[in-house]
Amino acid sequence: MIERIDASRCPACRTIVAPPASYCPHHPVAMEPVSLPGAGEIVSFTTLHSPPTGFKAPLHIALVELEGGARFVCHGAETRGLRIGSPVAIEAVGRVYYFSYLGVVDRARLFWRRAGHAGDRVNAIARSLAKRVWKG
Amino acid sequence: MLDVWVAGAAMTRVGKRTERLQDLMAEAAHGALRAAGVEAPDAIVVAAMNPEEFLGDGNFASNAASHLGFAQAPALRVETATSSGAAAFYAGFGLVAAGLRRAVLVVGGEKMTHLDTPRVSELISRSIDPYERSYGATMPALAGLVTRALMANGVGARELAQVAVKNHANGLQNPQAHFRHAVTLDEVLESRMVADPLRLLHCCPISDGAAAVVLTARRAAVRVAGIGQGSDTLALRHRAALTSFKATQAAAREAFAMAGFGPERVDVAEIHDAFTPFELISLEDTGLVPPGKAGRATLDGETTLHGRLPVNPSGGLKARGHPLAATGLAQIVECVWQVTGRAEGRQTQARVALAHSIGGLATNNWVTLLTAA
Ligand SMILES: [Zn+2]
Repeated sequence: MIERIDASRCPACRTIVAPPASYCPHHPVAMEPVSLPGAGEIVSFTTLHSPPTGFKAPLHIALVELEGGARFVCHGAETRGLRIGSPVAIEAVGRVYYFSYLGVVDRARLFWRRAGHAGDRVNAIARSLAKRVWKG
Repeated sequence: MLDVWVAGAAMTRVGKRTERLQDLMAEAAHGALRAAGVEAPDAIVVAAMNPEEFLGDGNFASNAASHLGFAQAPALRVETATSSGAAAFYAGFGLVAAGLRRAVLVVGGEKMTHLDTPRVSELISRSIDPYERSYGATMPALAGLVTRALMANGVGARELAQVAVKNHANGLQNPQAHFRHAVTLDEVLESRMVADPLRLLHCCPISDGAAAVVLTARRAAVRVAGIGQGSDTLALRHRAALTSFKATQAAAREAFAMAGFGPERVDVAEIHDAFTPFELISLEDTGLVPPGKAGRATLDGETTLHGRLPVNPSGGLKARGHPLAATGLAQIVECVWQVTGRAEGRQTQARVALAHSIGGLATNNWVTLLTAA
C-alpha cells in the first residue's frame, strides 16, 4: 500500500512542495493542495552520529525526490546498500515519515499501479467515445 | 553613491575566551578606531547572531554601544545568521555611500564556548527550516547531504581533506587563529564521522571572538570596490541543486557588477569554509575557479599561500575559527591586512581581495571586494 503525501502546488510556476506551504517560495501566490504518491528516488542521505536531543544515534536522514518533483525529508531505519538514485517508498509511522528501500517485488507492484492508471485513462477515453456515439 | 573606504580594521584572537562578548567587541572596536585615527564614530552597526540565547542579553546594539563608551552614538544591530558580520558591513557601507554618515564603526562578535557542544549546535540549528529541524537536521546534517551529492559528482575524499590541511597550515602562521597546529591528509581522512560522509576534521570549531572595521567617506588605504547579497530558500528541500549555492552566485554577480571587474582580477580570497566542501563549492560559485575544477585546483596547490590564488590565508573558518557574527568581519579584516601588507607571516602579493560569507545553509550570502587604493 503506497501512502499519499500532502503537498501543495504553485498555480503560477507549478512548483510542488511537501509538506504543503501557504505561499510558493518563489511567488507571493497561495498554493493549491495536492497529494503525491509516497514513492521516489534518493537525492542524498546522511547519518548523524551525535543527533540532537530527542533523537537516537545513528540517525539516518534522507532527501527524497517524490514522483511529481517535490523533495521530501524523511528518516530511515538503515542506509546499507542505499545509493543516490535508489528507488524508495515513504511510509508514515505515527506522524513521522520513513523511507524504505524498494525491492524488485515492490518496484514491480509500483509499475503495475502506474500501468493501472494508464489502463484507467484508456477506459475513460473509451467511455467518452461510447457516449459520443450514443448521443450522435 | 559616494566612495567608501576601510580606514581601520582589527580583531581579537579567536578561540576559547573567558572575557565577556562586550569586552571582546571593545578590544576589536577600539583597535579599529585607533587604526583609523577616528576618535568617535558617527554611527555604530553591531552584528551578533544570537546573544539572546548564548548570553541572555537583548537590545544588543545599545548594550554594545554603551559598553564601548559611545552611549550617545546612533547604533543598530543587523542579523543574517552566520553571515551577520558581512551584513553589518553592508549596512555600514550603505550609510556612508548614501552620505548619511561619514565614519561608521562596524563591530561583530559571538561568545559560545561557555555552553556545551550539543547546546551550541542546537542554537546554531535554529537557522534551519523548522520542518527539516523536526527531523533532527542540524547544520552538519544538511552539510552531509550536500557533501554526499558533491562526491557523487566526482569530488574525491582527498580533495575535501586537502582543504583542511591547507587551512590548518595557514592558521599556523596566524597569531589570531583558533587552531595553530597542522593536520595531515590521513588525520582528516581518518577523523570520526559526524554526518556521513562529513568527518570531524571537515568541520570548523566553535569559537569566541570579535572583529571590527571603520568605514569612512574620507579617502583611506583600502576602498570597498563592490558588495553583493544573494538569497535562497530557507528549506534545502525547496532547492533543485545541492552542489552549488544560488545565494553565492547572485552575491558574486552583484559585487563584480558594482566593482566593474571580474573574478580574474582577484588576488586573494577569504571563503566561508564552515565545512571543507563549502570552500570547493564557493570557489566555483564566485567564479574564482571554473565549474568542476575546485578540487583539482586545491590538490594542485593553486590555493595555497604561494599558489596562483591564495584562499583563506587566515586559516579560514576551519582554523582561524568561526565566532558566528564576527566571522564575516574577520574575513574582511584579513583582506584589509593582505592588501595593505600587514599580514605578517602569511602575506600574499595582493591588491584585490574577495570575502565570501554564508548565512544559514546558504540562505543569505555575501561577496565583498576590497582594493588597495
Ligand atoms: Zn511559484
